[in-house]
Amino acid sequence: MRNDLADLTDQSGGSGDVDPELLNGIFRSAHSLKALAGLFGFEPIQELAHRLEDILDGLRLGRVALGTAALTLIDEAVNVFGTLLERVGDAEAIADAGEQIADLSNRIEVASHESPPEPGEFDALDLDSSLLRALTEYEEHRLRENIERGRHIVIVESTFEIISFEEGLSELSTAIREIGEVLSTLPAPGETPESQIRFSLLAATELSLNELSSRLNFPSSSVRSVYRADAASGVAAGVTPPAGVVDEIAHEVVSPPIVAHETVPENENLQSLKSISDTVRVDIRKLDELMNLVGELVIQRGALGDIVSRLMSDTKTARIGSDLSKVYKAFDRKLKGLQSSVLDVRMVPLRQVFEKVSRVLRGLRRELDKNVRLEIRGADTELDKLIVEELVDPLMHTVRNALDHAIEAPEERLAAGKDPEGRIKIEAFQRGNHVVIAVSDDGRGIDTDRLRAKAESRGLVGHDEVLTRQEMLDLVFLPGASTRDVVTETSGRGVGMDVVRSNVTALGGVVEVASDWGRGTTISMTLPITLAIIQSLIVRVAEQRFAIPLNSVLETLLVEETEIQRSEGREMLNLRGDALVLRRLAAEFCLDIAEDDGRRFVVVLGMGDLRVGLLVDSLEGQQDTVIKPIQGPIQVVDGIAGATELGDGDPVLVLDVASFFDDSSRGGREAA
Amino acid sequence: MSEPGAPEDFASGAQPWDDLARSARPAENDDERQEDLRQLLTFEIDSTPYAVPVERVREIVRIRPITPVPRVPKDVRGVISLRGEIVEVIDLRMRLALPPTDPVRSTRIIVVHTENGKVAGILVDAVREVSRVSENSIRPSANSETGSVEALCVRGDEFVSLMDLDRVLEIHAGH
Repeated sequence: MRNDLADLTDQSGGSGDVDPELLNGIFRSAHSLKALAGLFGFEPIQELAHRLEDILDGLRLGRVALGTAALTLIDEAVNVFGTLLERVGDAEAIADAGEQIADLSNRIEVASHESPPEPGEFDALDLDSSLLRALTEYEEHRLRENIERGRHIVIVESTFEIISFEEGLSELSTAIREIGEVLSTLPAPGETPESQIRFSLLAATELSLNELSSRLNFPSSSVRSVYRADAASGVAAGVTPPAGVVDEIAHEVVSPPIVAHETVPENENLQSLKSISDTVRVDIRKLDELMNLVGELVIQRGALGDIVSRLMSDTKTARIGSDLSKVYKAFDRKLKGLQSSVLDVRMVPLRQVFEKVSRVLRGLRRELDKNVRLEIRGADTELDKLIVEELVDPLMHTVRNALDHAIEAPEERLAAGKDPEGRIKIEAFQRGNHVVIAVSDDGRGIDTDRLRAKAESRGLVGHDEVLTRQEMLDLVFLPGASTRDVVTETSGRGVGMDVVRSNVTALGGVVEVASDWGRGTTISMTLPITLAIIQSLIVRVAEQRFAIPLNSVLETLLVEETEIQRSEGREMLNLRGDALVLRRLAAEFCLDIAEDDGRRFVVVLGMGDLRVGLLVDSLEGQQDTVIKPIQGPIQVVDGIAGATELGDGDPVLVLDVASFFDDSSRGGREAA
Repeated sequence: MSEPGAPEDFASGAQPWDDLARSARPAENDDERQEDLRQLLTFEIDSTPYAVPVERVREIVRIRPITPVPRVPKDVRGVISLRGEIVEVIDLRMRLALPPTDPVRSTRIIVVHTENGKVAGILVDAVREVSRVSENSIRPSANSETGSVEALCVRGDEFVSLMDLDRVLEIHAGH
């Protein structure tokens, strides 16, 4: 709703011509809010929602002009809602807000009765008066608006099969919306077989009748014109495609108006109530439980697969084996479907987080007196609920940084030849199995020299160290590297980007920075879509299995013990000219070393620029794994990220890849 | 794999956990006596009876494959999978400074609630029963070598050692 409001503000700022759908959306939100407040007995909220609905209704019907006054009132009301909802349990806060609400309600009431509705004059229309009477006040208003804009008013009639009419009708409405506006949908009781139903759609469009007919290529539909801006007479101009149904409608539409008049607004109510009951709030732990069950099914499937291949390999049982194999394959497909549906349920759009951020930003903008426009793209991009929760803080930090540090004061921007209004853009999109969230600004950019000086003064970088531009930019992620000397409320205490980086890394993501001096900065975070199921490489060391998250595995190699070289007490491998530091998993974990046949597998792990090779006895293939935390007194074991269950139901430990890197992992040619 | 949700019976021919707990519950009209009664789950280690408060027990399961965990003290035998949950198992014999033994038919894992709302498994030689004892029969234990026993409880002609679960579960990671 807040987003819609922001859109509304933008639109009205331009021309005063507002998308009616948008207004309707806000109206419905306010309505749902009222219903909800009523449901829970929050009278002050209900009262306010009611008033808000009044003013929105006034806007919809054109009774109230959409101006700054109205917008301010709405914005204020929504803010009061926000505070109230956050403190719903706090009786005192609600009582405090009561006065504020009463005041606001009064002002809204005055505003919503600013101008009385004027009686409509639709004589110029080739419309039956009974049809006109069937229009609701709002529909009349839209009709009037469209006539004033000089649009072409038409009636589209179509016949649908009763069993599928909802689908057909919505297809038709969508098609019309692409080229105009649907003003009203009324049932048309023409002579139709019992299994069919006719509708007339009153619509407005810029197109001519011929263009319209060709664009609306729907079977058994007809279009006729009822008003044309250029036809001064206002009499029907245009063709009447297939049958001569036009007159029939005009006459037979006489009886249904009353019905239609009642059903239309009711539908609207139903829709808004439905949007409440269509969604279910579920505890995320219940979803985890569901995920566990699916995980167990996946394990059972593995066992089933083993039986199938045993049966198939024996000639005596091959036939029954192949029968079972068919069943197994069908089961496998359904299970994959189930798995992805369950994962899908955990997915939530980023919208909520973005809304939270933009709310805070709007507050800060006022506080810091900076002129900034926030653009949001890709709010519908979905991520695992758990990741979204953890994302709020880093995102907030990043946006605050952009506002506080990057965006210059208006005078400074003007002097630099920039638009005095700054821009901050938050953009989200999917890339493969990851989601990228980028925060860009058109501010002053990162001063790498100053950043370096700061880092040097704190001993984070040596004076004579040669750094590439990117390496200098990356200094921004070091603790205590803030380039701003002034400490503000918002940020600038030298914590921030390092926190952002550790938060994102904890989610298995990467954060990167790009910046052009004087032109702006982009911080992008790449995150996995879900933490719930990941692909792992299963390895065996000293008769024990371990799982290694596949996204950190660069490659695997088979090496002879003789190929392994030693330097400064470390074992290394010459990997295409680079020195790869090796670590023996058996030694790391103090496991009994297996029989030595002189051959080993090396799993090359990579994270950013870091590389390390893990020596293991054998590779056992890839598997979908669900990483679980370990419960018990220890919980955190160095080198272990958690555990997972494999096909046979035994727990297998999952390696914490990050713990295997150290200073030696930067490697490089000089050591080789 | 165990049946989800249904705790397993823990001794051949024994009642399931629920029934045991139910049988130990005092009768409805026994209210005033309930206050000075405690319910204990008794089990054996090295043929000696030990007990933990019933309210700390979540379930009792048979021995199952335990995956060893590297870099942890020897008292932690490893982890088991409990219907998808990964739970550490502590060998109570080793916690009590007794030599480890191989699991036998009666070996059980008692899954208990930890202080932080999680669970942990305790490996014991056998589970006996749930019993109600009056507070009067519980005596604080003065000289417990390992600090794992907080009190003694007289049951007929024997002493039952009441474990201090929080002490038992106090294990720190280390190499």
